Amino acid sequence: MRNKSLLLILFSLFTLIPGGCQKEKSEDTEIVIAEQFGLAYAPLQVLKETGALKDAPEGTRVRWVRTANATAIREAMAAGRMDIGFMGIPPFLIGADRGMDWKVFGGLSRSPLGLVTNLPELRTLQDFAPHHRIALPQPGSIQHILLSMAAERILGDPQVLDGLLVTLSHPDGMNALLSATEVSAHFTAPPYLMKELNAPQGHLLLSGEEAFGGPFTFIIGVTSAASAKKVEPFLPFLMKKIDEACVFLNENPEEAAKMLAPSYNLPEEELLTLLTAEGTRYGTEVLGLNRFIEFMHAAGYLEQPLSAEDLQYRP
Amino acid sequence: MKKQLSPWVNRSLYILILLVVWEATARYSGVSPLVLPPVSGVFKVLFSSLLDGSLAANTLLSLGLIAAGLGIGSTLGILLAVGAARWKPARDLVDTLLLIFHPLPGIALFPLVILWFGVGYFSIVILIVHSVLWPMVTNLLSGFESLPEIYRMVGTNYQLKPAAFSFYILLPGSFPQFIAGFKIGWARAWRALISAEMIFGAAGGLGGLGWFIFKRRVFMDTPGIFAGLIVIIVIGMLVEDLIFTAVEKRTVLRWGMKS
Repeated sequence: MRNKSLLLILFSLFTLIPGGCQKEKSEDTEIVIAEQFGLAYAPLQVLKETGALKDAPEGTRVRWVRTANATAIREAMAAGRMDIGFMGIPPFLIGADRGMDWKVFGGLSRSPLGLVTNLPELRTLQDFAPHHRIALPQPGSIQHILLSMAAERILGDPQVLDGLLVTLSHPDGMNALLSATEVSAHFTAPPYLMKELNAPQGHLLLSGEEAFGGPFTFIIGVTSAASAKKVEPFLPFLMKKIDEACVFLNENPEEAAKMLAPSYNLPEEELLTLLTAEGTRYGTEVLGLNRFIEFMHAAGYLEQPLSAEDLQYRP
Repeated sequence: MKKQLSPWVNRSLYILILLVVWEATARYSGVSPLVLPPVSGVFKVLFSSLLDGSLAANTLLSLGLIAAGLGIGSTLGILLAVGAARWKPARDLVDTLLLIFHPLPGIALFPLVILWFGVGYFSIVILIVHSVLWPMVTNLLSGFESLPEIYRMVGTNYQLKPAAFSFYILLPGSFPQFIAGFKIGWARAWRALISAEMIFGAAGGLGGLGWFIFKRRVFMDTPGIFAGLIVIIVIGMLVEDLIFTAVEKRTVLRWGMKS
């Protein structure tokens, strides 16, 4: 009896072991691409709307997955369940620092970001007191790192505001800020940024570019070394299509707004103002990788001195 | 004596086997340590976070919130259940409340709690109270219902006032159900606590075990995630073995209500 139950336990343990060694073998190669929700991902939405990936290289099938945050993409890629993902630069660097073998193959967008408050007493970062709360998507996100950069420059310590952080998704963060409870400021992205700035008393404490000290790429495309063989024939095609979608978004925003309004569930005019907002720019160049690495290493968010050169995808 | 020891011996044996299988899988199956870190790595992080005080402080905070939530939840539960047992209109009210709130997961209430009470400790306690209160009331009511008629008669015979009747007859008579409700409440309180802490973040640098685990997750420190989980597991075992067992031994087992 004892032996039997022991065997049963061992057996159930082995079935629980992660690994995903048994990938389904089919004729087509399926490429799983993970993205998140937001205007910064508009080029990908254009690809979906126009069906531009239909004429992918022979035998390649694309499956889109949408996650709530970069952490989920990172975990799925570590487990070998996703091939290509789109996220902010800091979550990518944290993964690389912890030993994930993955590379940047290109940028997707630049975006205005900002720390908004509706409290008149808050004018600069120096005005934050221990009872204030700052909402942002999560520690280690680009919003958190930008806040940290500004905290170092203005207050002399990158971690000094970390005790005030509250993790809320963009819409929850906006609700919390506008409902005048503990959340005193929110580091967010469009369209929430504009909505909060238009609310009574809403004002910008810090913009992303001020925090960073220049322009930077908001969202990048990443692929893992484990998928290298699979994505190699597909990636140049994808990059070309993304590039075309970016040109379309930058040059024909009216047409783009019309096409994307239903999927973003926004009125066409509002989407157009967002697409053409100052600081929004679609493009495949990657800006600011080095500065993020330097800062995050100096501030202790990265343990290893990474090299931007080594993190670039080379076919 | 041997009989007393054996559950501990068996359990330790199973835990040991589990750890060996875990370590072997992590080492030899080719799984990335980011997905499944080796046991040794996890314990290293566990000890270093215990030593630098961060884990202990967060654990104490979490336990404090649970204690507050469990205390308020079970007190409210007793009041509601006793009220419902003594007074018919209250019974209808409590039944309706149970119907509305009992099936409602705490997580579903998050957006409302954030809007109404913000994201501080108070909101966490409210969510714990919600998860403790309703199973407590349900268990107590079913305890009251299964109270042997003879106990009631004794109370009537002594001409006990309603308050004394509740205190001397109703509550002790349904103590096994109270303990069962408390155990469910305890487990549910942890769920509410960890999910709330993961969302609400740090206040004054401390965010409890949920925030500890969440922070490890976003910085991709997988051994740290396991360290947080181990603390929760150990607390669960200790409370079950030391507190619940002792209370049962001293009450329902001694009174012969449970064998």
